[in-house]
Amino acid sequence: MLWLCIQFPQLPLEALTRAHRAGDQTPVAVSQGNLIQAANGAARAHNVCAGLTIPTACAYCPALELLERDRERESQLLQQLAQWGYSFTPVVSPRGGATDKSSHTQPAPGDDTACLFLELSGSLRASGGLAPLLQQLRKELHKMRIQHVMGLGHSPSAAHLLSQLPEHRQWLAETRAPATPQQWRQWISFAPSKLLDCSHTAIAKLYASGIKRVSQLLAIPLSEVGNRFGRGFIDYLARLNGTRPDPVPSYQPPPEFHSELFFSSPLDNSEQLLFPAGRLVRELCRQLQRRQLYSQQLRWILDYGSRGSQEINVEISRPQLDPQRLIALTKLQLERVELREPVQALALKCQQLRALETQGLREDFFDEGSNTHDSYQLIDKLKARLGHQALSGVTLQESYLPEQAWSSADSLSLQSRPRGHQLNPINAPRPSWLLPRPDRVQQRNHKLFYDGELQLLQGPERIDGYWWQHHRHARDYYIARSEQGSLYWVYQDLTSEDWFLHGVYS
Amino acid sequence: MNSAENFMQNKQLSDQADKQPLQQLLTRPDIWQLANRQRQPRTGIGSGYRGLDALLANHGWPRAATSELLVDKAGIGEMSLILPTLAQLTRQGRMVILINPPHIPYAPALVQAGIQLEKLLILHPRGQRDQLWAAEQSLQSGACGALVNWQGKESPADKDLRRLQVAARDGDCLHFHFRPGSSADTPSPATLRLKLQSDGEQLAVHLLKQLNGKSGQRLHLARSPDLVRRDQPLH
Repeated sequence: MLWLCIQFPQLPLEALTRAHRAGDQTPVAVSQGNLIQAANGAARAHNVCAGLTIPTACAYCPALELLERDRERESQLLQQLAQWGYSFTPVVSPRGGATDKSSHTQPAPGDDTACLFLELSGSLRASGGLAPLLQQLRKELHKMRIQHVMGLGHSPSAAHLLSQLPEHRQWLAETRAPATPQQWRQWISFAPSKLLDCSHTAIAKLYASGIKRVSQLLAIPLSEVGNRFGRGFIDYLARLNGTRPDPVPSYQPPPEFHSELFFSSPLDNSEQLLFPAGRLVRELCRQLQRRQLYSQQLRWILDYGSRGSQEINVEISRPQLDPQRLIALTKLQLERVELREPVQALALKCQQLRALETQGLREDFFDEGSNTHDSYQLIDKLKARLGHQALSGVTLQESYLPEQAWSSADSLSLQSRPRGHQLNPINAPRPSWLLPRPDRVQQRNHKLFYDGELQLLQGPERIDGYWWQHHRHARDYYIARSEQGSLYWVYQDLTSEDWFLHGVYS
Repeated sequence: MNSAENFMQNKQLSDQADKQPLQQLLTRPDIWQLANRQRQPRTGIGSGYRGLDALLANHGWPRAATSELLVDKAGIGEMSLILPTLAQLTRQGRMVILINPPHIPYAPALVQAGIQLEKLLILHPRGQRDQLWAAEQSLQSGACGALVNWQGKESPADKDLRRLQVAARDGDCLHFHFRPGSSADTPSPATLRLKLQSDGEQLAVHLLKQLNGKSGQRLHLARSPDLVRRDQPLH
């Protein structure tokens, strides 16, 4: 077993400011109650750090922008990171920051930090060894602008402990292969005892008895330790040493994607949204590719804060993992959106992720190939700008009534192959245009007038049915020619004896 | 020896590459070559009417270009003029797009004409701008075999017509543009312009303009005998 623990010391800040552009120089700090919880680089340059009271921090740096800590967003971001981690290894366990903060007398750095455990032994070969894998993890975290601290160990507890040890981090940055069990124990015994994951009182007790390093603690017989610190502590030491299994709750990724960017200064222009939207789409594509899934719909949620939200749906008819194309489709929609209020957060949601099927891929390569692909792209583009309802197809229906012998089809069924059951149209001349509503034909002195006199050429073709329904349809259809030479499909309603124009032989 | 062979091969390759742009240029429909005319007859897409094909320069609808059909009165057989072509395209698996048709395209009649309905897409964009956008995107996508659109209330500007023509060329797409007869007086960049009228019984086609070919001819096409057969209506 090889466990990697990634700690996110700046998560409270990043959950709120991740959407900021890189190189933003405003000093920002996150506060909870009266205390500063985290501060960004610009603020730290003014000596603002965690643990200060708000008045002191403001005295150090008058331009400081204070944000209220948002636990919910933090845990959301941690879930996203777990999802990200899941693309590297199937064994992932996120651990949120301690929630019972009030029980601690003093906030100690490090024990409130959210972290993520990844089991890496199964992923080494696929990524070409430990060093490239760690490199990749660091690079992607950097891209997501998440500060992190890593530690490697033979159990989650050990990894968590070692991630706080600067010498170990140094070693991790240079190492090429994981250490032997012997070396893990050496690292652990080398660690100062204040890094142990236990209560503050226990640590104070350890120091009072002169135990400064874990090695000193391990030298004492376990029964003695148990008498002083309780069974739980012995359990912890055993898990740390690897003599006892160290279970962590395993993470199962939800079958959907959800990522959100929060803007601390709201955006009031839909063009400004394109940049963060691009980032979200790239995140989505990276994940979908790793998990071999695709989504048929991108759901954008523009959050107006307390004034509600707005949803924009982008339909995708074909498995599509190319971020550029997805961004282009999104852009078509966003361009047309009128922002009602300044946008405070932009979220991307994809429910119902589907598995990429090899059959779909094969079709792409060998069948009509690029032609089908092109038409799907065209349809997506048209849908994005004109809206779903502006596209339609037509199909045959089984009915004697002319107006029910066709129906509007969803354009998605366009490219599908003809199905087994084929309907055949009636074997009589039918007009190429049908009027959505039959138009009244004037009748005077036994003559018919519609834009001039009509001359009946053929007929009648009697269509009589639906007498069992409220409205009986009994009609005699004729083909008629107008004075200008147009051919019309007219009928006489047998119940009312009125004449109507129903189609045009165009 | 090897290097000499290589050199020769390279030279041939580069010669081919040099020739290619010229070949591409020569295949453009708007370049008229007098010398090559007999040798390389570029074929159009057969309209299904022998008389009409004989009048058209490439024995069919001009490929990758706009054909304008000027019609005032619906019902004189204007759709039946292009339906055989559309049917042929859908049977070849190409997509056919209708933008803002004047009425409902009636599925039974389209199937009778041989059109594969699953290849037919109907668009209803709102407003002139979206209409032109949709037409241009569809034409240049290369995914669509033919596009048929109907001019709305306002006449598109000359530059828009030109853009559609260019898009049809880029996407190698047949473009049929139905416009009212009154627009015959204004010039248009279309490759082919036909004025369609009815002479009472038949469809009268007047060739107003044709690039690379003669114009001014008139042609009379009979309507389908199934339609105009006269039996004595009972009424």
